[in-house]
Amino acid sequence: MKIYTGSGDRGKTSLFSGERVPKDNERIEAYGDLDELNSVIGALIAALPRDWQDLHQELQKIQSDLFRIGAWLATTPAAPAAAALQPLDPDDAAALERCIDRLDAALPPLTGFILPGGCPPAAWAHVARTVCRRTERRVVRLCADTADAESTAQLDRAIVYLNRLSDCFFVLARHINRRQGIEDALWKR
Amino acid sequence: MEAVRPEASAPERYGAFSTRIIARRDLSANAFELTLVKPPAFTFYPGQRVRLRHGQNERDYSIASSPSEETIRLCIRKVARGLLSPQLAGAPAGTTMTFSGPHGYFTFKASPRPAVFVATGTGIAPFVAMAASGVYGFTLLHGVEQAEDLFYRDLVQSRAAAYVACLSGSSPASVAHHAGRVTGYIENHLPRRACDFYLCGRQDMIRDVTLLIDEGFRGSLVYAEAFY
Repeated sequence: MKIYTGSGDRGKTSLFSGERVPKDNERIEAYGDLDELNSVIGALIAALPRDWQDLHQELQKIQSDLFRIGAWLATTPAAPAAAALQPLDPDDAAALERCIDRLDAALPPLTGFILPGGCPPAAWAHVARTVCRRTERRVVRLCADTADAESTAQLDRAIVYLNRLSDCFFVLARHINRRQGIEDALWKR
Repeated sequence: MEAVRPEASAPERYGAFSTRIIARRDLSANAFELTLVKPPAFTFYPGQRVRLRHGQNERDYSIASSPSEETIRLCIRKVARGLLSPQLAGAPAGTTMTFSGPHGYFTFKASPRPAVFVATGTGIAPFVAMAASGVYGFTLLHGVEQAEDLFYRDLVQSRAAAYVACLSGSSPASVAHHAGRVTGYIENHLPRRACDFYLCGRQDMIRDVTLLIDEGFRGSLVYAEAFY
């Protein structure tokens, strides 16, 4: 099945709201990073043991949340197309907090900086954490340029979600290493 | 029409339904219309698609009927070696199947800019649904090879501010038309101004029209639904 039209061959693409913009437009940069984050999460899921279904499901839920955020990033403020979008649910960030608290409660207290790494899925979780931070920075920049109240409210929720998600990946990396019997590697000055 | 998934990575909310064929009629030698039972719980916006499943195969088809109608009508191109259309073309009334939907975001968005609908072949389907649902005052370009493929012409023409049949074949035609592809009409005849373009049909049409819009219709919006 062909999935291309070629309409982007000259460096422009269409936003969900219909505008033709250069591919280095700040919205494209933002949802491009979000797409990268989602792909890294896919790599993380693929690296997890098959029988860790609790994490598979948790991470796939996050992937779906990111699609909802991506739709808002791809839509200009007050565009008619925004009417078709699902508002972001503040409880999605609250669900991440519950996940962080649950995983963190079973981990030894932090005594210093941790070197990103460990087993492959934990290393992927650290990559996801850093890509998530970059995405968050892009969305913050986008939000600063947005005047429309509804779009600002949705981007604000996206920022809260991404902020929490990055923390979630940090705890998740430690959780995965511990579950695999791998100790945290501490930074030695 | 058979449609590929939209490029926007947006969420979709849809259900799964059972249905059966009520009727089938030929629109031309190249396409037919399938009328299906509309399940009571199924709702959609004009321009959206269903993903029809029959046996192990599934394909997306734009709905060509209004949401207020009691049935669902699909406009399907006959593809000789297609995955699903040959089976559907030969399926008798009463045949049961399942579908999911509604899918997609190719819906009409009211705007102060003029709307220009551009379709090739069975890509007319979503515009038929929009016209049947009360959308009017648009410019519609329908690109086909020969006049017999100008499906639903009376309906869409009655709702359009301008209707242009673009015939790319060499057969003589009795209807008023532009001789050539839709791209030729857009390039040479469509007033250069910011419009809301809705494109549905072949991928090469969508590519070529989009590039023309980039060059000559600055400030326009482009909504596209490509099929393969």
